[in-house]
Amino acid sequence: MNPEGTLQLPPQMSTIAPDVDWMYYFVYWVSVAFFVAIVGAMLYFMWRYRRRPGQKAKPTGHSTALEIAWTFLPVILLVYLFHEGFSGYVKGIIPPDDAIDIRVRAMQWNWEFEHRNGVIDEMNMMRVPVNTPVRLIMSSSDVLHSFFVPSLRVKRDVVPGMYSTLWFEATTLTKPMCQSDADCNETRVGGGFESCIENRCVSNCDSDLDCARTSGVALGVDWGAAYAMNSYSCSSHQEGERGECVLPVFCTEYCGAPVGIDRSAERNSNHATMMADLHVVTMEEYEKFIEEGPPPPPECAGEADCAAWGEALYNSSGCIACHAVDGVRQQPAPNWKGLLGSNRAFVEGEDREADLNYITQSIREPQSQIVEGYNNVNMPPYRLSDRQIQAIVAYMRSLDEE
Amino acid sequence: MTVAEAEVSHDGIHDPHADLGDAGNYLKATKGWKTWAFTLDHKRIGMMYLASVIVAFLVGGIMALLVRTELAHAGETIMEADMYNQVFTLHGAIMVFLFIIPSIPAALGNFFLPIMLGTKDVAFPRLNLGSFYIYVFGTAFTVIAIVAGHVDTGWTFYTPYSARADNSVIWMTMGVFILGFSSILTGVNFIATVHKMRAPGIHWRRLPLFIWGIYATAVIQVLATPVLAITLLLLTMEKTLSMGIFDPALGGDPVLFQHFFWFYSHPAVYIMILPGMAVVNELIATFSQRKIFGYMFVAMSSVALALLGFLVWGHHMFTSGMSEYSTMVFSALTFLVAIPSGVKVFNWVATLYEGSISFASPMKYALGFLVLFTIGGLTGVFLGILSIDIHLHDTYFVVAHFHYVMVGGTVFGFVGGLHYWWPKMTGKMYSERVANIAFWLVFVGFNVTFFSQFILGSRGMPRRYYDYLDQFQPLHMASSGGAYIIGIGFTIMGVMFVRSWFNGEKAPPNPWASAGYEWMTTSPPHPHNFAIDPVMKRGPYDYHLCTEEELWDGFPEDFVPSDR
Repeated sequence: MNPEGTLQLPPQMSTIAPDVDWMYYFVYWVSVAFFVAIVGAMLYFMWRYRRRPGQKAKPTGHSTALEIAWTFLPVILLVYLFHEGFSGYVKGIIPPDDAIDIRVRAMQWNWEFEHRNGVIDEMNMMRVPVNTPVRLIMSSSDVLHSFFVPSLRVKRDVVPGMYSTLWFEATTLTKPMCQSDADCNETRVGGGFESCIENRCVSNCDSDLDCARTSGVALGVDWGAAYAMNSYSCSSHQEGERGECVLPVFCTEYCGAPVGIDRSAERNSNHATMMADLHVVTMEEYEKFIEEGPPPPPECAGEADCAAWGEALYNSSGCIACHAVDGVRQQPAPNWKGLLGSNRAFVEGEDREADLNYITQSIREPQSQIVEGYNNVNMPPYRLSDRQIQAIVAYMRSLDEE
Repeated sequence: MTVAEAEVSHDGIHDPHADLGDAGNYLKATKGWKTWAFTLDHKRIGMMYLASVIVAFLVGGIMALLVRTELAHAGETIMEADMYNQVFTLHGAIMVFLFIIPSIPAALGNFFLPIMLGTKDVAFPRLNLGSFYIYVFGTAFTVIAIVAGHVDTGWTFYTPYSARADNSVIWMTMGVFILGFSSILTGVNFIATVHKMRAPGIHWRRLPLFIWGIYATAVIQVLATPVLAITLLLLTMEKTLSMGIFDPALGGDPVLFQHFFWFYSHPAVYIMILPGMAVVNELIATFSQRKIFGYMFVAMSSVALALLGFLVWGHHMFTSGMSEYSTMVFSALTFLVAIPSGVKVFNWVATLYEGSISFASPMKYALGFLVLFTIGGLTGVFLGILSIDIHLHDTYFVVAHFHYVMVGGTVFGFVGGLHYWWPKMTGKMYSERVANIAFWLVFVGFNVTFFSQFILGSRGMPRRYYDYLDQFQPLHMASSGGAYIIGIGFTIMGVMFVRSWFNGEKAPPNPWASAGYEWMTTSPPHPHNFAIDPVMKRGPYDYHLCTEEELWDGFPEDFVPSDR
C-alpha cells in the first residue's frame, strides 16, 4: 500500500490499487526496455553509418530467422500481458458477496447517493465506510456520465436506460485517526493548523494545492511544493470559504455545459466540475449517518431553521446552476429572492401561494407544477430530507430579509 | 539486369538536361483558373487537396492553441465552458475529418501514386476531380455548422448528448457524411489504379512501400467509411424524425451508437496512421540509400493492420457497460495489433544498419517519427491491458497516446513527406537551415506538450475538462507552453515553404539521390508525368543497380559526399 502515490500514479486507497499499479509499473519498465533498445539501436546506427566519405550503403540482405523471431517472440509477452490484465479486470468487476449497496444517480452535473434505508446524502457528497466492500448501482437520468475516483482505480460509465455497477473497498480514511490535537500537529511540518475532532484530524484548506500539501504531511510524507500532486481536493470551492480535504469523484464521460450562462467557475456547473466529495469514514461514523441522515454543518448544530445550512445546500446541491438569488435574474429558473409567499401561476391555468408545501413539492416533484414561462425547463427531482428543505426555506426567508 | 540495361531504361524515361520549357511543367503547361478548376490532372488535384488540408490544419491548429491557452490556468482564462466545449470539438473534428484523413492519401497520394506507378494518371480522373469537389462541399457544410451553429458534442458525437444537442449537429454530421464519400471514391480510384495501371516492370514485389501503405488505406476507406455514413444518417434521422435509435428517452440504445461509431473510427485510426508509415518507408530508404529491410514483411504488415483494424473497435468501450466477454475478446485482439506495428519499427531500424545515412530535413522527420511512434505504440499496450485501462480510460493518458500516434506519427510522416517531395511538386528547393530550426522546435515542443499529458492522465486528470483541480496546474502549464513552441515551429515552416514557392532555387530532378521511380522524371513533372512511357527494369529501392549519374546528377553540393 502506497498512501502517497508516485510521480506517475495517485495514492493507493483501495484493495485493487496495488495490483493495478504493479501491473502498470511492470508494463512501464518493459516499455522502457523496448524503447531503449529500439531508440538506442537507431541512434547507434545513425552515428555509425552516418553519410561521410567512404560510407557507401551495402545492399539490403534478408534474414527470415530474424523476421520470424521479432514477429513471434513478442507474442509470448503479449499473451502474458493480456492474461494478467484480464485477471486483474475480473477481480475488479466481481463484487464480494458481503458488499454493501449504494445507489448512484448521475444527472447533468450532479451526483446523488442513496444509502441503505433510503437515506440520501447531500448532493455531491459520498460517504463510504473504510475496509468494507461497497457496490455502486448507477443510473443516469439524462446523458452519459462516468464514475471515476483515481485513488481507488475504479471507473465505469453511467448510461441512461440501463444500470451499471462497480465495486471497491477503500482502505484509507480520508482523515487519519488521532487521540489529541498534538497527534495531528506532530505529523505536520512547520506548525499546527489541524485539530483532533472525534478522533480524526481535521485540516482546513483554501485550495487543492493546500490539500495536496497538508494531506501529504498528515500521512507523514513531506513533499516539495512542486510535486504536491496528491489526489485530494478541497471540498469547498466557494470563494472565501474553507473546506475539508476529500477525494474527488470525477465524471469522465463528456456531458456538456449550460448554454449562455456563465457559471464556468462554479462547482457542478458543467462536465469539468461535475464532481462529488468522497469521504472514507469509519464504520461507526457511517452507521451514525445512516441513522440520522446527512448532518447539518457544525455552525448549525442544534438549530432547527438554519439559513447557513440552506445556503450551503443551495451551493452544493446544484440549485445555483439555474436559480439566482439577487432578486433580478429570473432565467433559466425563478429567482429565489422574493419567491417565498408570492403567487405562482401554472401553465395549466391554476395558481398557488409559494408556501412551505409548495416549495417541498417543487423540489421533490418539480414537473408536477410548472410555472408559466418555464415550460422548457427540465429540473430533475431532488430528494432532500425534511430538515434540509426547512433549511432551504430558512435561507429563502433570509434573502428576503436582507 | 546489367548496368547497361538500367542506363537504357533511364535514358528512355527522360533526359534531365532536356528543356521542354513550360510545356514540360504541369504547373505551367496550361494557364488560367479554369485549367485548375476543371483539371483532370491528378497532380493539380493533389495540389488543390494539399492547399485545402493545409488550411484545415491551420484552423485546427489555432483551435488547439485556444484550448491550450484556456487550460494554461485553472478557472476561466479566455473563454467560458460552453465556448471551450465548442472549440475542442472543432479542433477534433477539423483535424480528423478535414486534415488527417485526407492529408497523405488525398494530397500526397494523389500526386505521387500514378507517378510511382509510372502511369499517366489515376484510373478514373473525372471521379478523382469529383471526390475533390465532394470534399469541398462537405467542408462547406462543416463550415456552416461552425459559423452558424453550436456544435459541442466532441468529434465522437456520442449519444444521447448529440441526439439532444443543438440542431447544427445535423449540419456537422451531414458534412462528415459527405466527406466520407470523398474518402470512399478516392479509395476506389486508388485500388483500381494500383491493380490495373502499373507500368511494365512494376510487379507487386517492386511496388514502392508508399503505394502498399496507400493501397491498404484505400481498402479500409472503401470498407469502413459506409458504416460511418449509415451511423450519422441514423443519428440525423433520430434528430429530425424522432426515431428511437440511440436515445434511451425514445427507446434507443446509446451504447449501440458507440459500437457503430468505433466500427468505423477504429479502422479510421489506420486510415490515418498507415499513410504516415507509408511515407516513412520512402524517407528511410532514400536517406540510407538502402532497400527497406524485410520488404515483404513491411508490405504485408500494412495489410495485416488494415484487416486487424476491423476487429478491435471494442477497446474504446472497456468501461461503457459492454459485456465482460466482449471486453475480454476485444482486449485479446487488441494485442495482436502490436505485432505488425512492431514488425515495421524493427525493420525500419534494421534498414539503417550498414546504410549511408543522411540527416537532411525529411530524414529528421522520419527518425522523429520512429521515436514518437515507438512511444505512442508502447503506451497503447498500457491501454490494451484491461485492469490498467480502467484507470486510464478517458484521461489525458489517452489524449497523449493518440497525439503521439496521430501527430508524432501521421503529421510527422506528412510533414516529412512534404519536405521530401516539395522539390518534385513545386520544382523549388527550400532553405535546409530554416527547415532544421522548424524541425527542432516542433519535435521539442511536441514532447513538452504531450509527455506532460501522460503524467497528468495517469495521475487522474480526465479529458475534455474545461477546468481542473489545482494539483494539475504545473503540468498543464508545461503542456500549454509546449503547444506554443509547436505553433512557432509550424509558423516558421509555413513561411519557409511560402518563400520557397516564390523565390526558391530551382530543384534538380533527383535532389535526394533516390532510386524511387518518382525521381526519374523532371521537377516539376511533365503534365503526363513522363515524357516517354517508362519501362521499369529495377525496383524502386535497388540502389546497387543505379548508375552514379542516375543518383547524383544534379545533386545539391551540400549533400554530396566529398569523394564523389
